[in-house]
Order: sequence, then structure tokens, then C-alpha cells
Amino acid sequence: MGHQISRRTLFRTASGLAVAGTLGGALSACGGGTGAGSTSSDLTMTWWGSDDRHAAYKKALASFQKDNPKIKIRETYSGYDGYFDKFNTNIAGGSAPDLLQMDTALVAQYARKGVLAPLDSYVGNSLDLTGFSKTLLAAGTVDDKLYGVPSGIGVNQLTVNRSGLEELGLQLPDREWTWADLKKIATDVYKKSGGKTYGVDDGGGGTLQAFEVFAREHGETFFSDDGKKLGFTPDTLQEWWEYWADMRKANASPPPAITSAAHNDLTKNAVVIGKALFTFDSGVYGAGGSITDAQLDFLPTPQGDFSGAREGNFVNGGVLLSATKASKKVADSVKIMDFFAQSETAIKDMQLLRGIPPTEKARNLIASGLTETDKLNMENADYIAQRVSKASNALPAPVPPPQGADQIWDLLFQSNLAVAFGKKSIKAQLGEFFDQAAGILGG
Amino acid sequence: MTTAQTDEVVKEQGAPVTPSDQRERDRMRRRLARRRGGGWWPYLFLAPWFVGLFGLTIYPMLDSLYLSFTNFDLLTPAQWVGTDNYERMFTDDPVFWDSVHATLVYVVVSVPLKLALALGVAMLLNRDLKGIGLYRAAFYLPSLLGGAVAIAIVWRQVFGGDGLFNDFLGWFGIKGQDWISSPDTALYTLVLLAVWQFGTPMVIFLAGLKQLPKDVYEAAAIDGANSVTRFFRITLPLLTPIVFFNVVLQIIDAFKTFTPAFVISNGSGGPLNSTMLYSLYLYKKGFTDLQMGYASALAWVLFLVIAGFTAVNFIAGRYWVHYDD
Repeated sequence: MGHQISRRTLFRTASGLAVAGTLGGALSACGGGTGAGSTSSDLTMTWWGSDDRHAAYKKALASFQKDNPKIKIRETYSGYDGYFDKFNTNIAGGSAPDLLQMDTALVAQYARKGVLAPLDSYVGNSLDLTGFSKTLLAAGTVDDKLYGVPSGIGVNQLTVNRSGLEELGLQLPDREWTWADLKKIATDVYKKSGGKTYGVDDGGGGTLQAFEVFAREHGETFFSDDGKKLGFTPDTLQEWWEYWADMRKANASPPPAITSAAHNDLTKNAVVIGKALFTFDSGVYGAGGSITDAQLDFLPTPQGDFSGAREGNFVNGGVLLSATKASKKVADSVKIMDFFAQSETAIKDMQLLRGIPPTEKARNLIASGLTETDKLNMENADYIAQRVSKASNALPAPVPPPQGADQIWDLLFQSNLAVAFGKKSIKAQLGEFFDQAAGILGG
Repeated sequence: MTTAQTDEVVKEQGAPVTPSDQRERDRMRRRLARRRGGGWWPYLFLAPWFVGLFGLTIYPMLDSLYLSFTNFDLLTPAQWVGTDNYERMFTDDPVFWDSVHATLVYVVVSVPLKLALALGVAMLLNRDLKGIGLYRAAFYLPSLLGGAVAIAIVWRQVFGGDGLFNDFLGWFGIKGQDWISSPDTALYTLVLLAVWQFGTPMVIFLAGLKQLPKDVYEAAAIDGANSVTRFFRITLPLLTPIVFFNVVLQIIDAFKTFTPAFVISNGSGGPLNSTMLYSLYLYKKGFTDLQMGYASALAWVLFLVIAGFTAVNFIAGRYWVHYDD
């Protein structure tokens, strides 16, 4: 048998090859380099959103191309999940889009890294921003330069299943409601539904619509102005987590398994699956589920019921349109931004799909064609914007979140979940939260 | 030819007899072959593979080794930071330890279960029944779906709060929970998915079982050994090389699991990092948190850990793997 390959050798060789192959794959996936912008002759544009938003963008862009046949647009779109992972990879690989929908939460990070093109030289020339308020433009402004055109007014509001509330014989709370009012009505929902429905989804780990407003009521910001530290104190966060621990105890909020399932997945949102009537998540309408036929309504994030409370709500810029710096077609991209900012067709096509339109003119244009839900949405947003602009004790609108912000938000969510699952006490989790947050922002 | 000339040649070469003569002739032949162009053209045919090896494996590997000592955010050039990434990993990153924990539990639980199931089914399928090929195909099928995103999505539905699994438990009057969203059970739904995909080791076991010599079994039967004894005294020892091969491969595979964890946890590794398998954490760091330098360091630690496990396997194998020849 000497001339044959022994089984031993065969296995050794085969295992060795397999090991080499599998390991090489893991490592080589991480190499890479930075490259220049896309070289294709088409203008590439990318956005995230729901199917409705995709359809609206495509319709508007089709009419834009009719008037500008020289600009050929290649559209790519997806949901929010993975959108920025892909964008990061594209930039690194030198195939970044020319024009993209940008998150107000991330614009500072990308602008400071030199990924986005400043737009100031176009404003007043090919980019008409008449009717955009200064506070609104602040959402796309980083270090005094404009890097993104806001799509509309974004406010933090709760979505309410009003039909569900009425079925239980409960009234929609007044817009001037407080955290205590939320607790009361959410507890009532649980009791009156015979334990079938919790009141409000667990906001203990929710950032923008929930805790940030709560911190601002205490006169504290989420991030410090320079973005290097957290702007709130452990006491405030402790008070917040204790509030939600009470809510869960009273069954005013669902148990953590429901909260965890809904993370990054609107189709599992507690209101969408019929397990709650109030939610801090935005954009649940259109998500289907148990609220397909329900009448929805909107409320500002509750505030107050303690002394010294201030206005905690604020207005931001919906989503942004930004051009990438490496792109050779920034001028063309600006034309498209201008089109979405001012063109009657675009405004009518987009309706409320990118937030409440930014200008008075645009709001009047779409007012007549809105659905009942959209009307209520716009009314409530308008109410919040008015109240914020009148408030004498409101903090200025938050600074664009610094790098690492998304990790902090995720940390807040996971921390609240750890408390809710009973894995950590509030005190222990507080210490861990502030430790880890300092590491993320400092490093 | 005169004999004198011949004699001279013979004298020059020293000895007239064969071995060195033969070697000389071989050398000549090889030299001739090279002159005909035999020297370089094999490399031409190998070139596509070389391009792949150097361009897609070795260069990126070396690049990632370099990047692991840098601070690299994908968007701006990398900055050299020495061993900072490695130090941070071991001293200042609790999520890293969460991911190590999740991955070790996953490997240690899923690999033995999967191999036991694979061997069991292979034993059942190793007989001459009508339509046995069909059964083999049916049992292999889940593995074809393997790393697919679709199957992970199905899994998420099956083990969700209102999923099929809870409906099934409901028949027995057991009230289930949301298995995917509970930090105590989420990882085990991943283990179950891995175990269910036992097809590849099963096929390898089956091939091994078919090679086992029949005469040993006949002798054992005559001596009155029952089936359990035959399994532990004959089948298993003779099969150890195959077991070894499967153990090595499955451990490596398990360490690198990514897709099911990504899909089932919606990319978050949650709840509470309980499904944060190492590869998923690596991906999150690199592509979501824009810390490609740190992610590269993570990749190299994984590489060393897997290499270590494999080396231990090979060393330990000397004591329990039995080679026939």
C-alpha cells in the first residue's frame, strides 16, 4: 500500500486546506482602502424609506428628468436597516452615491470627516431656500456650513391608536399632557382591556422621542455642546428608568420581550401588533398590522408634572438631501435638491412622506389632498412647532449628534432592557451606562 | 568509432556503470524539456488562481494585519496606533467579552449536538432500502438552505412570540414565550438552527460508514456482540478519522457563524448581546461603527483562536484517532 495516499495524509491535507480556506476568508474580508467617487456617467441617488416614499421619490424624479433630460439619475433605495452600513462600504470602495438622503443624526459625523460637499456657494443661485427658517436649516448645518437641505419639519410625537382607545371608552388625552397623565391612561388601557393590551410601548430605552425630551425638561441636553460628553446627569437617567420600571410593574408598558422584538423592526412595534395603544416610534402608520383600519392620532411627547419643568420638545429637519464631496456632479445634485425644495410637482408628490413640508408655501400646496391621518399628523406637528417657538424657557435645538451617538443610543436601549429583564439593578446599570458612554465618546 | 575514443570517454566519466549515468541523462532530458517551453507555461495556467490567492487572500490578509494596528474609519486615512486596539479589546470592551461568551457557548453546544445527530442519521441511512437515495436527499436538504437569509427569517417567525413553535407547544397546553426576544433562549434558537443543518457532516459520515470492512462485523456477530457493543467497539473506533475531520471543520465553521445571528437579531446581536456572535460583532464594529482598525484586530484574534483550537485538535487527535493503515 506504500504507493497509495494513506487515509491519514488525505485527511490531514483536506483539513489543512479547509482551515486555510475558511480562515483566509474571515481575514481578507476586512482589508480595504479609500478611493475616489463614482466614475459612472449617471448621477446616482440613494435614499431609505417605506414603499410609499420610494414610489413618491420615483414619481417626482421622473418628472424632474422630463425637464432635465441631460441628467440621468440612477436610483437605489432600501429600508433604514443597513442603509448606512452600505453607504460606509461604498465610500470606502470609491463607489459612493452622488446624492443621498442623509440622517440629521449623522450629518455632523460625515461632514466633519469630509465626506459631504458644503452647499453654501449654491444657496441663492441654483439652490433656492426661500421660506426655510433658520432653526430648520440648523439641522443640516455643521460648523457654520450647510451640508444638507432639510426635507421638512421633524418633531417628536407619539402615535396613538385612537380607535382602540375609544373602544375601551377612553378619551384621547389633551396635548398639554404630563408624564403622570401618560401613566394614568396607560394603566387604564390595561385594566379596561382586561389585560389584553398594555398602554404604551416601553420608552425607557427610547432616545429621540422620549428620553431626550425628558432630559431637556430638566434643562439638560443629551450631548454636551462639543459632543465629547453626555449632557445629562445620572440622577435624571435614574428618575427616567424608575418611571419606566413603575410603568412595567403597573402593566402600563409591555414586558421586555415585546420591547426587544420591536427593536429596529417597525412590524413588531407594540402598537402595530396590537399590544399597546401609544407608541414613541414614528412612522408606524403604513406598517400595517392591527392598526391597518384604525384611526390614528398624534400627541406631543408628554412633559412636566414636576417643579421647574421647561419646554422639552424641539423641532428638527426631518431628513436631509446631501451631496458627496468626491462626486463630480455636485452642481447637478444641487439642482435636484432645489427641485425637491421648491417645485410644486415634487412637493405634491412627496406629501408628508419626508416629514411636514418645510415652507408655508409647500404646506398650503398639499393641505387639500391629505388623508385624515396626515391632517392630524400635520396639525399636531404644527402645534408643537408653535409651542416651541413661543416657549421662553426652551433650550436651543440640540447640536448635531457627535460620532458614536448611535452607539450611545443603542447602549441606552440595551441598558433599559437589562433592567427590564431583571438582569441588572437600576443603580448598577447606571454606573455601567456612564462608564461605557465615556469610553465611546472619548475613544 | 574507434575503441580508443570510447575508452577515453569512459575514462573521463570515471565509472562506466549506471546510477550517475542515469542521473545525467535525466538531467539532460529535463533541460531539454525546459528549452521546449515546459518551464513557464504551467504557471500561465495557474495564473488565475495566483491572482486570486495574492489579490484576494494574501494581500487583503496582510492589509488587515496592518490595519489592526491603526485607527481606521473607512472614510479618512488610517492612523498608526500600535497595539491600542488589542489592549482595548481585552481591557476596556465589555461587549467583546459578551461576544466571546456567546460564541463559545454556541460552539461548545452546537458542534457536539450536530455531529451526534449527523452520525445517528447517517447510521440510519446506511442500509439498503428501496428509495434510500430519496431519504438521504431529504435529510441533506436543510443544509442546502444553510447560510441562507431566507431560512433565518423563517426561524425568526417560527420562534417568535406568536410563532409556529408556540402553537405547537399550545397543543400540549404549554404556554410558550418569545424565544427570539428573551436573552436566556435566543442563542439556543441559533444552536437549534445549526444542529438542524447536519447534512454536510452526515454525508461525510455516510461515506465513511460505507468503507468499513464487513468481515469485522461478521466476526463480531459470530462472537455474539450486540449492536451497541458493535457500535462502540467497531464502528466508532474505525470511524475516528472521519469524526476528527468533521470536528475540525465544524468547530471552524461554528466560530465563523454570521448570517443567522445577523438576521435573527435584526443585525443587533440582541437581546442584551446574547446572540452577539463574534463575527457579527466584528461586522458591527467595522461597518456600522466605522472602526475598521478595531474590527481587523478582532479578525486577527479570531484567526489565532481558531488556529489554536485547530492545533489542539490535531495534537489531541494523536491520542484518539485511529488510522487503519
